[in-house]
Amino acid sequence: MSLSDLTGRWKAFSYGFLDPSAKRELRRKMIKAVSVPGCQMPYASREVPIARGWGTGGLQVTLTLVKPSSTVKVIDQGADDSVNAASIRRFLSRVSGASETWDTLDATLIQSRHRIPEEKLSRDQILILQVPNPEPLRGVEPNMSTARQMHADADYGRMWLQLYEQMVRSGRVMLGASYPAMVNGRHVMTPSPIPRWDVKKLHMAEHLTILSAGREKRIFAVPPYTRVEPLVFDDVPYKVEDHAHLTCARSGVTGYFMNEIPQEDGSAGYEVSDSHFGIKAIDARDGGTPTVGQTWYRNGELA
Amino acid sequence: MLATPLPDAEEIRDNATFEAVLGALSRPGTVRDLPDPGPLCIALALLDRECKVHSQDETLLARIPATGAALVPAHEADHVFMAADSAEALEVIAGLDTGSHLYPDEGATLIVPARIGAGQALQLTGPGIKSVERICLDGIHPVFWDLRARLCAYPRGLEVLIHDGARLLALPRSSQVTEV
Repeated sequence: MSLSDLTGRWKAFSYGFLDPSAKRELRRKMIKAVSVPGCQMPYASREVPIARGWGTGGLQVTLTLVKPSSTVKVIDQGADDSVNAASIRRFLSRVSGASETWDTLDATLIQSRHRIPEEKLSRDQILILQVPNPEPLRGVEPNMSTARQMHADADYGRMWLQLYEQMVRSGRVMLGASYPAMVNGRHVMTPSPIPRWDVKKLHMAEHLTILSAGREKRIFAVPPYTRVEPLVFDDVPYKVEDHAHLTCARSGVTGYFMNEIPQEDGSAGYEVSDSHFGIKAIDARDGGTPTVGQTWYRNGELA
Repeated sequence: MLATPLPDAEEIRDNATFEAVLGALSRPGTVRDLPDPGPLCIALALLDRECKVHSQDETLLARIPATGAALVPAHEADHVFMAADSAEALEVIAGLDTGSHLYPDEGATLIVPARIGAGQALQLTGPGIKSVERICLDGIHPVFWDLRARLCAYPRGLEVLIHDGARLLALPRSSQVTEV
């Protein structure tokens, strides 16, 4: 064995930005994350050219999986055209040669900040969620080592107590996003700050979801056809946001997750949060024939 | 602005290998195609200086030092390349690291050769499987499945990647396997 066997050939730039060793680390940890659904696996999170906390975890997963034939969609709170989404999407295509898309149906890799698209994902698509805080127990147990022990013991009593206290104080569970969910009947995970509306889309889904927190250096996954059950009491059913009756002021669609837009007169207007889904509806209204996929919710109810 | 880098042959192979591994693990029972036959492409896609490897495959053994991975006895290894076709092999597998409840990720990955589509019929259930998946495997000792069930005291356990030429099948620790 000579030194030249051990060193790679000189390259101006690694394909997909990450060096091969960083990708191997991600691959090894993704294997374990998929094998123990919902369990947070520590990994060596690398530097990427965006600040930690802005999607570095999701970005590293996407950069590991991407290839020139991939088509990437990047979502920021439902929108494809926000600065964060557009920058990450452009970065991904520049360092990998992958195609960019806004259309959920065309994408092979969907990196998302805090929304799951309204159109159903298929078995060939991978959803990569950016996670700011991967530890569902942090609110009830600030010590990371103790929280790890609680996961090991499946000791989630304090999570239930938190929900109970909220109901006693406020009459309802006061968690908007990051609603804790039991995965595969064993590990409680935070589904990243997706709204309650989206948590049910993960239950027995067709697609693989990988959740990655770059700053916190943890990765976890929800494989297809895996039970994802929000923590609820038997006599208090899980409630999604009350958006079923709302209509989007721009596209006219009803029964999907909406963004609330404050109006000058103090009232609220609404527009559909999944921006490209709204664009398709506007296109259809104007006489176009966009291909609209099957949606998880129909008439505001989970189908 | 730099030109978009093109993937070299190694990057293409590693990417395709991992796509097969991830696809096989997230849908246990489905057979995926590896870019090259044999376990070498799996080793090259996963191993680097962070890894501790045990290999009973002589040709593979010669290629592992170049990845930078350390060669260690089986019970210390995080990646184990060996056949599971004899009672002696099962003794070695019984001693593999299955991680702990605190760190389930420390459980080993076992990469075994077998013939897919012949021999022992198995029924799989668990995450990644809609209802039930059926597979046939030949070249794996019949007692292996009891041993695997004992080792996979969820969330502890080990992942089994089964290769048959360029075909790959995977069993994550979350899968329940019953012989039929």
